[in-house]
Amino acid sequence: MQAMEWDTHFRKGETRSALQESVWWHLRYSTGKPWAERSPRSLYLALAYAVRDRLMDRLLETEAHYEALDAKRLYYLSIEFLIGRSLSNNLHNLGLYETLHEALKEMGVDLEEVKEQENDAALGNGGLGRLAACFLDSLATLDMPGFGYGIHYEYGLFRQGIDDGYQKEKLDHWLAEAMPLQMERPDQSCLIPLYGRVAHERDLQGNYNPMWLDWKVVVGVPYDIPIVGYGGRTVNYLRLYAARSSSELDIQIFNEGDYVRAVEQKIAVENISKILYPSDTVQTGRELRLVQEYFLVACALRDIIRRYRKSHKDFDAFPDKVAIQLNDTHPALTVAELMRMLVDEYAVDWDRAWDITQRVCGYTNHTLLPEALEKWPVSLLERVLPRHLQIVYEINHRFLEEISVLWPGDTDRLRRMSLIEEEPEKQVRMAHLAIVGSHSINGVSALHTELLKKTVVRDFHERWPGRFNNKTNGITQRRWLLTANPSLAELLGRTVGMDWVTQLTTLRGLESMAGDPDFQRDFLDVKHRNKERLADMVMDTTRVRLDPGTLFDIHAKRIHEYKRQLLKVMHIIHEYLTLVEDGRTPPTPRSFLFAGKAAPGYWAAKQIIKLIHSVADVVNRDRRVKDWLRVVFIPDYRVSLAERIIPAADVNEQISMAGTEASGTGNMKFVLNGSLIVGTLDGANIEILEAVGRENAYIFGLTADEITTLRREDRYHPREVYQGHDGVRRVMDALLENRFSPSDPGLFRWIVNALLDGGDHYMHLADFPSYIEIQDRVARDFADTSGWACKAILNVARVGWFSSDRTIEAYAGEVWKIQGTSSRKEVAAF
Amino acid sequence: MQMDVTEMGGGLVVLPLESRMDATNSPDFKERILEWVRGGRKRIVLDLSRVTFIDSSGLSAILSCLKAIGQEGDLVICCVADGLMSLFQLTRMTRIFRFYPNVKEAVAAIEGL
Repeated sequence: MQAMEWDTHFRKGETRSALQESVWWHLRYSTGKPWAERSPRSLYLALAYAVRDRLMDRLLETEAHYEALDAKRLYYLSIEFLIGRSLSNNLHNLGLYETLHEALKEMGVDLEEVKEQENDAALGNGGLGRLAACFLDSLATLDMPGFGYGIHYEYGLFRQGIDDGYQKEKLDHWLAEAMPLQMERPDQSCLIPLYGRVAHERDLQGNYNPMWLDWKVVVGVPYDIPIVGYGGRTVNYLRLYAARSSSELDIQIFNEGDYVRAVEQKIAVENISKILYPSDTVQTGRELRLVQEYFLVACALRDIIRRYRKSHKDFDAFPDKVAIQLNDTHPALTVAELMRMLVDEYAVDWDRAWDITQRVCGYTNHTLLPEALEKWPVSLLERVLPRHLQIVYEINHRFLEEISVLWPGDTDRLRRMSLIEEEPEKQVRMAHLAIVGSHSINGVSALHTELLKKTVVRDFHERWPGRFNNKTNGITQRRWLLTANPSLAELLGRTVGMDWVTQLTTLRGLESMAGDPDFQRDFLDVKHRNKERLADMVMDTTRVRLDPGTLFDIHAKRIHEYKRQLLKVMHIIHEYLTLVEDGRTPPTPRSFLFAGKAAPGYWAAKQIIKLIHSVADVVNRDRRVKDWLRVVFIPDYRVSLAERIIPAADVNEQISMAGTEASGTGNMKFVLNGSLIVGTLDGANIEILEAVGRENAYIFGLTADEITTLRREDRYHPREVYQGHDGVRRVMDALLENRFSPSDPGLFRWIVNALLDGGDHYMHLADFPSYIEIQDRVARDFADTSGWACKAILNVARVGWFSSDRTIEAYAGEVWKIQGTSSRKEVAAF
Repeated sequence: MQMDVTEMGGGLVVLPLESRMDATNSPDFKERILEWVRGGRKRIVLDLSRVTFIDSSGLSAILSCLKAIGQEGDLVICCVADGLMSLFQLTRMTRIFRFYPNVKEAVAAIEGL
């Protein structure tokens, strides 16, 4: 074989022999190991390089194709991208999984073992970041020119350890592990200014010329992670920026001999992309976070404009070629930065720049919680981004003038809508900036969008009703079924074909099989195997043995009071006390599984983790209940763990207080894997319920409207619930009596105080009676194996609408106005 | 700062020879230009063809020189690479300086002053 030919063969070939040679070559020449000294880790690296080789041509061809079409591009700006592992997903999407599996088997290598070597890229906290990652997968699968822009954090979300039931955070240095995935693009670095002052000067014509001077400059260096769509036709990328110093060190200080001080500046700059902030930490006032947000926005916009200007002289066509989606308010400074760039750097006049900005930007709201709506002190903004503050003031001035014309004399409305909050401290309201500067504002589930319009930003909806729309979140089935649950994927393929991989609604074909005893048996076999797999993993990590024959009841998500892990624990305590005190035998044995991280500074959430462990300790040690109850907390919840947990769930808990969860996407992932929802009428639960049928889910609790009314009329009194409901009283008393903290009396008294006397902000007690009632029904129904299987199958069959492909098609058609570019050649394997 | 200075068209063509203008060399640059200005040399062409990076102290130094010249002369800039121009645009200095693609046109611009 000629050298060139061989090179093509081992870098691009998709046969077993080509893949084998590729792995062998990379093991030797990329990791420096002879075959005899291979380890799972070095084999993972070799494999990752081999896969990357096969992405490169497609990446370049995709870009050339977009350029040739001068296609409109979508830039998805997000402070988080929770990618997780990439190898398996890439292999599936490239259509190489089975071939590689066989190829490695012939070499005596187990792909499953090698896959486990990959660390998660945990560049996100939870739903918002994972949504962004699912969207990228859908964009590439739909052959759409859509790209993610984020920060190349050196440390991802912390790793969670557990010590004596308490969460202990450990650093997550993912970078060393992720090297094969990414490509540094130093040639496309950009300079980002920060700090300084605005000098009020005059230009050559004598006009006012505000000049941003005395800034410090940071270099943004892009790293690209290829995103391959299913079928391998399109390879887009996620571009993450790392902050670097503009000079390696301060030469003057260095020359004076102060080596430490000489590198200080460099270290300070590089801190910008050092860590991902955990959610729920108070970010307002944190300068580094503001700098991170601006760094992301500024790098992205420079890149977007650079690319646009390669083929366009002026900005006339900018809104026809560029769409920018702001994933929550973190990138809201896009509005001010794009205005600044257009007006200051490209001399576009203000009105035209504003028109361009609004036509380009879209904003997705992700939260109704007032404390999560970002605000930045004016004093901080003035110091970090003085020119931007000027621009924000100008936008606000013009905006409020417009409002005062429409609602003359309504000063209260002006105060509510202003981009600047005047009291107690002057702050810039980032959600208002994003709304005013965008042509589209969307919520992420039907209920959330309605609440957004009615409550949080009602005034803005009154001003621009046409700008508001709903885009219910979705999940990619390539990750959450094809990759995460290969046994179920195979069964579905045998039953209804594989079209569901790109058209999830074709799973409807399963409906007719829901009552089929043979299919039910196969379906339950798959579930049982997944439960066995999870039970093994739980045994390895926690030393708790779970029986896969029990009902696996799973609450897996970020730990937050509004998500009500506490309600789940209250139910477990209730079950336990019913068994040991009332002697009641439940209809079915249960295993309760929790997983999730608490923000390091969120005391109550961390105490709830301790509570779960304390309850688990008591329950799991009590021989009286050993055949009926098991409780386990699986540490370090992350994407790869979710891929293991979700396929094993019989029921999943989506029990946030109604009106607090924007959408949730865990609910969709669980349902797709044949797990039934126990949930409130909150977020996307409502739409899932409509899709799968109320009889195939377990819904309880107050509605958002009922809660609003109770609060408004001051009719919720937790102590009355305590007095009036035996179950509530017994659970609260058990906590008060230190039943789960015998060696640490008073440890959980705060919970009782918060619930009984602190207002029970998240209505645990109000919903508890209906929750235990619905849980009794769950237990009874689970005992009917065939009936349960039927419900679970119908859940899978009817969840197709919740594919992120559907969400992306809706955004693309209604907001971004981008199209799939289908003319790229089909890849032979598909 | 190392600079090459040539007399052309009745003015000075100043060519900084270092690739960076930053806090380490801008004060020196500024002082030397101001010295010429004080000596009556108020028509200056700044040739930035060798410079690849200017930080804000470098830009401020250039701005100070322009202000020192006042109405009786001019400081024009030429041969600015694209990457560098973005820094002038960033500060809106493009609106108070005249920029030329080459030395010849820049010299012609100050000749008639």
